Amino acid sequence: MFDIDWMSLALPFAYIGVLGAQNANLEPWFPPHLQRNIYLTLLHMEPEPGQEKAPKVPDSVIRAALLRRAVEDIRRIIQIRTSKQALNSLLQRGSVGEDLNQRFLRAEKEIEEELRDVVTEVKTGRWISFPKRIHANFIQANALSPGWGQTIFQSANEIAANTLLRTRLEEIESRAEADKEWWEKRRETIQKDFMRELEEDSSTKGSVKGSDDDAVLVDSGSPTTPSKKKKGKK
Amino acid sequence: MSSELETFTMLPLQIDPQTKALSTTSGSRALQAELASLNALHRSLLALETPNQVPPPPLPVNPKRSANVSKLRDSGNTEYRKGKHAEAVKFYTLGLQMALTRPLWEPQQLVREEVAALYANRAQAHMALQSWAEGAADAEASVEAKRVGNSKAWWRRGKCLVEMGRLIEAKEWVSKGLEMEGDEGELVALLKDINAKLEEKSNS
Repeated sequence: MFDIDWMSLALPFAYIGVLGAQNANLEPWFPPHLQRNIYLTLLHMEPEPGQEKAPKVPDSVIRAALLRRAVEDIRRIIQIRTSKQALNSLLQRGSVGEDLNQRFLRAEKEIEEELRDVVTEVKTGRWISFPKRIHANFIQANALSPGWGQTIFQSANEIAANTLLRTRLEEIESRAEADKEWWEKRRETIQKDFMRELEEDSSTKGSVKGSDDDAVLVDSGSPTTPSKKKKGKK
Repeated sequence: MSSELETFTMLPLQIDPQTKALSTTSGSRALQAELASLNALHRSLLALETPNQVPPPPLPVNPKRSANVSKLRDSGNTEYRKGKHAEAVKFYTLGLQMALTRPLWEPQQLVREEVAALYANRAQAHMALQSWAEGAADAEASVEAKRVGNSKAWWRRGKCLVEMGRLIEAKEWVSKGLEMEGDEGELVALLKDINAKLEEKSNS
């Protein structure tokens, strides 16, 4: 179910993660589960000050929040699985203590419970608002939700992986901007150096004129790598 | 520990009665970023025609978008063959937009295949225009999407780095490519070329 390429990419970082975690012995393995808190807050919304009724949260928003919660669960379970390999080899070498292992085992158990919780949420249909739930149609609607219980983590897995891919591609594109600027400047310098060489050549031959030619060459904007052969690949 | 799972932290959330967008009075950047992702996901779920508007399973894929992506790639290839490289870049760019706006719950493997090809082709078109920096970035993006079985993209970034005079970087990159692709002929030749240039440089 989980992408193997991802795992191998994450493994070196898992070592760093495990070693870094040693310094915070009493803290839980993971930070507070933000997406879970959002989902449960939406199920328990309270009236705004001065209002009698709690704001109505559409079912579609609740479903989206549950899916975001499942995406975070996927990230955590991948981290747990990759950390496990790293942690076990560090434990064997005696590089980390037993208390770290205890923290890890607790986190592992918690994420398993969290996954079961999400499936229960889908099955009990808390993501369908209360009036609709007691409506006769609910039986029909709920009949569809066990199906989502089977696929919600498949979807969440793709969302997590797709998000990571897009983040990486955005990083490359943002670096590309800086790279492009660097190359523009570099190319200008190469061009100037090349022109100077030409001028030096022509001045030794006694010709001082030639600024018109220079202007044409500079404007042409072709990259100046005069000593190199250009070889296109088809 | 199970008690931790039964409790939660109530967050200061608001919902816009019209747009149904969630917001917060909290200054937490993490919470704000998460709400932005949640609102975006909500909007894309609303476009679904599935029962209860839950995402369909990743497979089978709706073939429409894939057909559009390959159409744009083919148009790009046609322009490239005609020597209209800037036009080719435009078509590949449109193809990339189409591929990268695919709903996030659709198979990432499919996205990787599609964008790897488009980035590799756009890199080639940039190279034909002698836009080495752009070509280098696109070839890198192609490899990011598809590391193995993508020796053309490994080669193209290597070549662009050489053109920009970044020989040491080029050597590292092509060596990494060879690790991934085995002793692929053109990569081997490029590495040889780079080594010769480095030699030349240290002798001068």
